[in-house]
Amino acid sequence: MKLEAHNLTKAYHMHEVVNIEKVTFGAGGLEGLIGPNGAGKSTLMGLLTRRIAPTSGTIKLDVGSGEKTLNPLKSHEVARIGLIKTNQRIQGFDSLSIRDSLRLAATPPQDEGLMSLFSRKRDSNEIEEKVARLVEAFPFADRNGYAMSGGEKKLLDILRCLIKEPKLFLMDEPTAGLPEDITRLVMDMVREKVQAGRMRVVVVEHDLPLIWEYCDFVHFLSEGSILFEGKPEEVKANRVVAEKYMGV
Amino acid sequence: MDYLIFSLSLMFVYIGLAQLLHIQFGMAGIPNFGVVGFWGIGLYGTGVLYVNYGVPLLPAIVVASVLSMVIGYIMALLVLQRSGQAILAATLALAAVIATLVVSEKELTGGVQGLGTIKFPFDGVDSRNLIFMLFILAVVLALIWLSSRLRDSRMGRQLVAIRDNEELAASLGKDTAATKRLVFAITCGFMGVLGGMSAPLHQFLVPYQLAPSLTFAVWIALVLGGKGHNLGAMIGVFVTFGLFDILIETYAPVPAEQAILLPNFKLFCYGVLLVMIIMFRPKGILGEDKPRVADAAAGKG
Repeated sequence: MKLEAHNLTKAYHMHEVVNIEKVTFGAGGLEGLIGPNGAGKSTLMGLLTRRIAPTSGTIKLDVGSGEKTLNPLKSHEVARIGLIKTNQRIQGFDSLSIRDSLRLAATPPQDEGLMSLFSRKRDSNEIEEKVARLVEAFPFADRNGYAMSGGEKKLLDILRCLIKEPKLFLMDEPTAGLPEDITRLVMDMVREKVQAGRMRVVVVEHDLPLIWEYCDFVHFLSEGSILFEGKPEEVKANRVVAEKYMGV
Repeated sequence: MDYLIFSLSLMFVYIGLAQLLHIQFGMAGIPNFGVVGFWGIGLYGTGVLYVNYGVPLLPAIVVASVLSMVIGYIMALLVLQRSGQAILAATLALAAVIATLVVSEKELTGGVQGLGTIKFPFDGVDSRNLIFMLFILAVVLALIWLSSRLRDSRMGRQLVAIRDNEELAASLGKDTAATKRLVFAITCGFMGVLGGMSAPLHQFLVPYQLAPSLTFAVWIALVLGGKGHNLGAMIGVFVTFGLFDILIETYAPVPAEQAILLPNFKLFCYGVLLVMIIMFRPKGILGEDKPRVADAAAGKG
């Protein structure tokens, strides 16, 4: 699944935060999106998942069977196509346990209608297995309880998205708030899925070593525009990136 | 005896309304302050059809309830995606509009002169009021059962997720707006059913019955009992309406000169109880209950 944005802009009070002529995500396996603070990374992610309405421009999604324009879609419709984004800030459902939260995410929308009031079993074995596999793979303090620490909530946020098996998965700063060993567990799992051809990923990160290690392709965003794109080595060696971002 | 049956019937109607509010507010987080409006559409809809057009009682209740559901759906379309305060104000306003329409549309509703008489069904049967009370009880028990099913179902889990964090639920592919509309419309429809069933209880309908005090009574009962508990509505109505309106007002041996103070004393007690609950047990007498689902994974560590 490929995502293409053309002439995409977003302005708040005449101040342009994002102004991108053309960018393509989902072409290169595991992609990174880097850039200094205030470069517009999170705004761009919000635009791509329709959480933020663009000021102008189009976003097109190539879903294999043809192109789809994202602009008229609502947030939940974007998610149903298979484009899912994790949250930078901690988000969660306070009343749902870790397992319930994952079950909720794994349940397809057509199974959540009124008829579900009369089904004897709440979740199918298939969903229970999926949930168990994910919960067991990570060291939650209480696997049958609630996500307690900020780290657990952040992890749960990522797992909630993963269990939906997105086609294009956007990760907004997965390392923020997560211990390093957990980040590696997550990223290894993500890389495995990418290599198996089950999804494409875009990671927004400040943790450059992680980007260089995991990413196959990197976009460099600065002051709202894509300034450079390439393989990690090319980006590392690029003078513009070095000047604008790495402070060399 | 007849008075006790009337009071108990009315109490069951209150429990039903509080139960529906538990679904709307406790589960889905929609602050509906227009309970009396949807109940009133059912009440007056049934009355107008029965008295003016000679429609038999049960079909009249069905038609009036459908009307209540449709108006609930239109309200949902208009305001449900706004903030909580907006929903609160809009539903309160709707109830006021309904009450005003009942006063102004004299040809249909009889205006302030009232509309009547609406008789109990089952003509010619003895103790029809008792049978009708059991009928109301059956409907209310069905509502309690349905809402426990909702609590334990996938749809209920989705509602809780929407209440907790709607934007997050939408980002996981849940059509939060449509789900809320559906739940709101259906529960408003049932409020209409309870209104329709209240018509033969009151027999004679006057606009005063559409005062917002009904909404507040139901809200107080729900908050006291526990908005997040399936039986909170019932317990809340027992300790408010059941205790004061039925037990004390009817059966307590209060001297006549003091009895006149009872309604004020009741309001005073409601207030004290409400403040105490909010201070010491903010989740209500019963607190919250969790879905009862056979959890295959819970046993394992």
